[in-house]
Amino acid sequence: MTIAPARTAGAERDKDPAVIRSLIFVRDRGIFVLWALLLIAFSIWASPYFASVDNALLIANAAALTAIFAAGVAVGIICGALDLSIPGTAALASCVCGWLITHGTPTWVSIVAALVLGALVGAVNGLITLRGFNPIVVTIGTLSVMTGLASVIVGGYTVPGLDSLTFMGTQRYLGVPAPVWITAVLFVAITVFLTRTRDGIRMMAVGGNPEAVRRSGIHADRYKVVGFVISGFCAALGGLVTTALVTEANPAANASIIFNALTAVALAGVSLAGGRGSLPRVLVGALILGTISNALTIKGIQPYWGTAVTGVLLLGSLAIEKWVSTTVSRRLVQSAHASVHTGTR
Amino acid sequence: MTGNSGTAAQGPGFSAPSVGPGAGSSTALELRGIDMHYGYVRALDQIDIEVRQGEVLGLLGDNGAGKSTLLKVMSGAHQPTSGEIRVHGETSAFASPADSTHAGIQMVYQDLALVDAQDIATNLSLGREILRKGPLGWLGFVDHKAQRRRSTDELEKLGVRTAAMTRPVEMLSGGQRQVVALARGATRVSGLPGDDEKRGILLLDEPTAALGYEQTQQVQSLIRRLADRGVACVLVTHNLPLAVAVCDRIAVLNRGRKVADVPVADTDNDQLVGWITGARPSMFV
Repeated sequence: MTIAPARTAGAERDKDPAVIRSLIFVRDRGIFVLWALLLIAFSIWASPYFASVDNALLIANAAALTAIFAAGVAVGIICGALDLSIPGTAALASCVCGWLITHGTPTWVSIVAALVLGALVGAVNGLITLRGFNPIVVTIGTLSVMTGLASVIVGGYTVPGLDSLTFMGTQRYLGVPAPVWITAVLFVAITVFLTRTRDGIRMMAVGGNPEAVRRSGIHADRYKVVGFVISGFCAALGGLVTTALVTEANPAANASIIFNALTAVALAGVSLAGGRGSLPRVLVGALILGTISNALTIKGIQPYWGTAVTGVLLLGSLAIEKWVSTTVSRRLVQSAHASVHTGTR
Repeated sequence: MTGNSGTAAQGPGFSAPSVGPGAGSSTALELRGIDMHYGYVRALDQIDIEVRQGEVLGLLGDNGAGKSTLLKVMSGAHQPTSGEIRVHGETSAFASPADSTHAGIQMVYQDLALVDAQDIATNLSLGREILRKGPLGWLGFVDHKAQRRRSTDELEKLGVRTAAMTRPVEMLSGGQRQVVALARGATRVSGLPGDDEKRGILLLDEPTAALGYEQTQQVQSLIRRLADRGVACVLVTHNLPLAVAVCDRIAVLNRGRKVADVPVADTDNDQLVGWITGARPSMFV
């Protein structure tokens, strides 16, 4: 396979060679192809139960929670920090909301209070991190603090009977469960923010290379805090949806949500080094996890296999990612055509 | 621009008129009596140096000679212990790189400081994004198309071709990345609003350190072209052939002192190496 001459005419130079474009496609869109393949395979394998609208909604609903937390984790990582306090923030938001509702506060006020609290926790995380501490250690610290506070607030017991929250839990609108709607809105909002707005683009740039942003005369630190705030908000939202689904608030932080979320994020090819990643891919990552466990359940296979298969997929995606980036850089060296066309000396 | 040999005879403490005869352009950046101490270490000792509009000044010296420190003083990253900095004749004090940026000075760092995952247009537009018209603009929505157009224009004006504007920087070769980093600095200095006479000042730290022969040639002619457009360039490098090929004037530092300041036409490799190693006595004693 040879590269076509990179620059044959004026119009041609704005395009990359076809091989590189297809490699970039694999890197950026590969996970969509993977999901499509899984869907086709499972439709045949687990026919006729898998390929139905009801089952699709089931998968979407199951993936929604993972997706919400994954959005928080992804924004944190993209902005340059792994936020491990997410389960704690979720538990605290859920307990605060539950406590407020059982003490006679209107439901919507309680929800807003919990979400604002989540954002505040994020801001605190961010401000502590800016002092030069390692974000992982800082957020492990706040994880403990939040979990402890959540237990203190509700006295160590779960708060049951939060039926006024079912509108964002088990309720369906137009036949689609509430968590799916919430997830959809959240992902559209964050995706638009990260790719279309000045602050979002700068935030991603800060995750990739804070020094470059600083040297462009931009307050890089501010955007780091914004990343934590969004992450804290997502955590609180996830905590509320969890609470709404089971109509009780649980003060125990569930550490497994962070690992599920991280799996979805890693599957989506979001580099832990920061600065890159796309929310639609993260959503598909969460959907892939949901799809696999759903299909295995339909076929009556032990769910442990789902965990194992997911791990294999994750490692496979790493291998593909590596292969694509080395191939691309090799190809680019061959076809590099930086040129200065009318030299004066 | 080789007729400015008058500057060569300048000694420390000699305050020359800022425009020498025959130079045909004014002094863009002028440093007088710059001292820089780190504790007991004297990194810079009474440095007088200046660079004119449209001139490329090479700063040579061995490791630890103080050339990077001097460049950092110019960029505002370091504050000198004493001494005066004048930009276009006006005395300035740089408390931070932001101040020098404001004064029209741009630095291209050795590590390039590009955002790898973002495309060329976004990198060139960082910090001066074009927002969309109307309500979306008020919400901070970026006009990607306009940014791509502007970036294409700017690179075209610099006479540079790299790759599609939508190509992430991480997928560029070393030379292309260097060109993008240079272009980012260049578009910012030469794009100073209003005052066409006061062209910007570009500081370059080892711009070809990681490049091969051909790519070095490209970067070299880009620097030349910038100078021809009136940008004052200060080039720190270890690469003697590059310095001789691209600079109008070369200053050599040795252990914090300026030991030579000569037009390229009046010197040669042997002399320069002599000054760099200290084998040749300073011009100023």
